[in-house]
Amino acid sequence: MNEFSRYMAGLGRRGFLQASAGLGATGLGAGLGGTPALAQGAPWAQVPKGKVDKLNFVVWTYGDIYTKIAAKFKEDWGVSIDSTISSFNDHPPKLLSMYAGGESIDVSQSSPYSFWNFVSQGLVEPLSDMPGAADYVADMTDMMKTVAVHDGKLMGMPYFSTTWVWNYFEPLMEKAKFTPFKTYDELMEQSRKAKKDKISEYPIFWVAGIGLEQLPGTWMQMTWNRGGVFFDKAGNHQLGAGSIARETLKWWVQTFTEGLADPESLKQQFVGSAKAFSAGTNLYRGPNHHYTLQVANDPKQSPNAGKIKVHESPGDGRTIGTAHVYFVTTANRNKEWAWKLLQYLGGRTKDGEYSQAINLAKDAMLGSGYTSVMNSDAISKGWAPYGDVPKILDMWKKTTFVGEVCNSMYKPWHFPWSDRLNIEVQKALTGQITADACCDNLIAAIRQVQRG
Amino acid sequence: MSATTTNGRGGHAAPVHRFGRDLPPRLLGFVMNLPTLVVLALVLAYPIYYAGYLSLHKVSLVQLRSGIFPFVGFDNYEKVLTDPLFLLSLGNTMIFTAFVVTVEVVAAVAIAILINQQDVWTSRITRFLILLPYAVPPIANGLIWAFIYNGKTGFLNRLLYSVGAIDRPIDWTANPDTALFAVAVPYIWRTLPFAILLAHAALQGINKELYEAASVDGAGGWHRFIHITLPLLMPVIVVLLVLRTSFAVAVFDEILAITQGGPGDATWVASWYSYKKGFAPPFDIGAGAASAFILALIVAVLALVYVKLLYRRVD
Repeated sequence: MNEFSRYMAGLGRRGFLQASAGLGATGLGAGLGGTPALAQGAPWAQVPKGKVDKLNFVVWTYGDIYTKIAAKFKEDWGVSIDSTISSFNDHPPKLLSMYAGGESIDVSQSSPYSFWNFVSQGLVEPLSDMPGAADYVADMTDMMKTVAVHDGKLMGMPYFSTTWVWNYFEPLMEKAKFTPFKTYDELMEQSRKAKKDKISEYPIFWVAGIGLEQLPGTWMQMTWNRGGVFFDKAGNHQLGAGSIARETLKWWVQTFTEGLADPESLKQQFVGSAKAFSAGTNLYRGPNHHYTLQVANDPKQSPNAGKIKVHESPGDGRTIGTAHVYFVTTANRNKEWAWKLLQYLGGRTKDGEYSQAINLAKDAMLGSGYTSVMNSDAISKGWAPYGDVPKILDMWKKTTFVGEVCNSMYKPWHFPWSDRLNIEVQKALTGQITADACCDNLIAAIRQVQRG
Repeated sequence: MSATTTNGRGGHAAPVHRFGRDLPPRLLGFVMNLPTLVVLALVLAYPIYYAGYLSLHKVSLVQLRSGIFPFVGFDNYEKVLTDPLFLLSLGNTMIFTAFVVTVEVVAAVAIAILINQQDVWTSRITRFLILLPYAVPPIANGLIWAFIYNGKTGFLNRLLYSVGAIDRPIDWTANPDTALFAVAVPYIWRTLPFAILLAHAALQGINKELYEAASVDGAGGWHRFIHITLPLLMPVIVVLLVLRTSFAVAVFDEILAITQGGPGDATWVASWYSYKKGFAPPFDIGAGAASAFILALIVAVLALVYVKLLYRRVD
């Protein structure tokens, strides 16, 4: 049974009839993309039951997208939106304090790492019975369904999706007369030569800053690309002696030991590393979220715009991806109105357009959780100023959700274990401990964090 | 209650007894202190009590919303005290605190003496300028210093390179040997003005005649400092030690803005541990409160030690 079948099974008879009616009314329009016919009768154009004075969302900052979408909601439905916007790192504490304080929270958002925890703690409202929900699920990409649908129930709606890609700085590659590497050995040889020839003091810039996704993601991506995982399907760790994850870490540490990796890597997350790489002093930037090319190749943000190219991972090119979601919280004022607001962030606006997803694709190069948007001009034309779109979409096809590589993210102990992972790996990268000791410590830490 | 009035001849008249009788001195003292006690109870004692309460219960998102906290005894304390990361964080906190408090107290006294020189006109300007860092919000201070420390483009490396002190950039916050001290410097920069202010105020209270008499007896600058200034500053130094220690063990903003605990665990401090325990999924607020409570107890013990040892010396 695939996710969609499980979803339909989870709807129940009433929900199934509502969902079927939604599908019928739109003529499967959502699945086909674009503005569906009969938009006025479509679920996203219907006035919700009940009355609310206002609604709110609690999100992390991203340009002024939330100001715009709140204004559009007010214009369309006459309901004001209160926005609580914090930084990405401050978002969970903010959400926690508001939830604990008994405040109303209609809509919020989550990274895939936090979402399982939010669901298990009862923070997330199931949405399967909401009008039009089935349409959305039918249009979601497999990766998005993995995050948004839990036990057959729709729990979240797409914020964005991303795949992990390499970057290289073309002028230095030309100066060194290199073609982009095809194997990890070739990457090491090129880096050593570039350092020796004083083309670059630190040829590789990694995304190795502390975070849930950053440093752990870099290790996971390279482990997956080499055919390994962190945990098997039964949940047993795969970090022991001789494991692919351990050997990958040894190789990664080597790039620091030989002075090939930029020490600044240890502090940078996705956007910061894109800006640092834009300075044009490194040859390669390690695997990272594809959309940061928008930062690196934007003339307003980068002194080397247009010179930073996207590159596929070695071997068969397999890579990892993630999907972030918006959701209705169980502390909502009115579920139907909250669902309406949620659609403005993660679904269709009153006119039937995926307004937010399309704007995010055009303005920020973010991937969508909807197949119809991924197949639209928003991607093919919207991404074009910043990178080679066909090449990125080809990598997209080789993308696996990161949860396949590290399924501890579905467990409540993943967060504390991830803290330990950040600590131990940074200690290995800075030469305080060996890669073997790092993996041994992480294995021991699993038992410890599982105790709670 | 009574009020004091002047008698019109420059002296003070007897207290006027509004309620017909005097309050006993002990009761009067209690009444006069009551407003302060109430405020302190509300803003200090209750949160401390509540943190203690939370630390003995299972508290996470679900419990916070429902308001039902299952009692777990000392499980949270056991969990925290057996966590090697907490013990390491505690160790880092102690190193950080010892370094910061020592530098602050020594620097505060030294700078206070410098700006107390009435005959140096620039000391008046310095007195004003020296307070500026205290007005910088802690998180902004951290971000400013993160830029200053940047390995490639930071001002510090440029300065050191331009004067020939280094021949290649140093990544101050990415190096586990320097990271904790790299965080300590911005912290000191931000909080030192408060210490200077206290020390300077105490210096101004020292009778100048003592110095004049010592000079007449042939005492040099060093002897005047050792035998007059330092002993008379000791009460304020004890206050500084208690205050600066209690604040330094709770350092958080600079950690958040500059290193977030890294590289590795080099800058994991106790308050960062409490924050990560309580405010990051899975939101184990009970354990976070337990770790914070342990930290509070350590501060209380340190404060008692300061008072016992140093006040005794003052006496």
